[in-house]
Amino acid sequence: MEEKEFILKLLNPKTQNNAFQKLLFDYKRPLYNHIRNIVLDHDDANDVLQNTFIKVYQNLNKFKGESKLYSWIYRIATNESITFINKKAKLGGTSSSELKSKMVDNLEADSHFDGNDIQLKLQKAIHTLPEKQQLVFKMRYFEEIKYEEMSVILGTSVGALKASYHLAVKKIEIIMTKD
Amino acid sequence: MKQFNINDGNKTTSGFTTPEGYFDQFTVDLNNKLKLPKTEVKVISIKTKRRLTTVAAILVVAFSVSIYSKMVINNSDESDPTENYLTNHSEINQYDLISLLDKKDIENLSIELNNFNSEIDEESTNINEIHNYLTD
Repeated sequence: MEEKEFILKLLNPKTQNNAFQKLLFDYKRPLYNHIRNIVLDHDDANDVLQNTFIKVYQNLNKFKGESKLYSWIYRIATNESITFINKKAKLGGTSSSELKSKMVDNLEADSHFDGNDIQLKLQKAIHTLPEKQQLVFKMRYFEEIKYEEMSVILGTSVGALKASYHLAVKKIEIIMTKD
Repeated sequence: MKQFNINDGNKTTSGFTTPEGYFDQFTVDLNNKLKLPKTEVKVISIKTKRRLTTVAAILVVAFSVSIYSKMVINNSDESDPTENYLTNHSEINQYDLISLLDKKDIENLSIELNNFNSEIDEESTNINEIHNYLTD
């Protein structure tokens, strides 16, 4: 089914429910992974994922088709995740990077983290990076999102994204080799 | 110390997991929150499918028969418009008929009428016989 046709089904009250169920089925897993990579905790990821789908559903009529549906949904998910982590940090009287560093330090105790030593080490290395490099690295390395799509989602040029990823990889490789 | 290379082909995953059945439950919870009806794909068993096919076939035959008989009735109406016209618009009465018949025609009619009466008597005798057969 073409995207235009699918969007029309999402906007038509008669076909909206079925189309939304398909959207939910297609997006819930990749969006969860995207959100979880940012907020780290499963329960937080669950809350953000719900908020993302609710926002998508409530704003379907505002989607003008200027970007791909995929990019639009991912942009909502990214904004929701960043807003969530900032609010959580503010409530704890700390910065979002400090909060995430603490969360990564506690990953071993997380019942929904099944990583080995290398995975844990990689998570810790990622969270030493500046916020933007973290996000670009996670989206490219774990989620394999293309630079062109990432550019639309994050509103950054492809060149800048490639530079960020390159820098992130170099730093991570140094940390992973050194320790 | 071993050099760590991100692009060495051995991809490291994030290590994050979800509780069992999480994504199914997520769909249920979200639909409840948005007050959306559940849309499930209904599985129809072969038995039910056969029954439905039989019912559908019966309905098609019944529908076709009713349409066909309607067409036949319509056709018969159309096939003899003169007869209908005469039935509905005839103003001929018994005196007009008598004036059109001569003496010989009237005699023939009375013979035919006598024959018809005797045939009726015979039929009624047969019916009485059957009636007796059934009651004995």
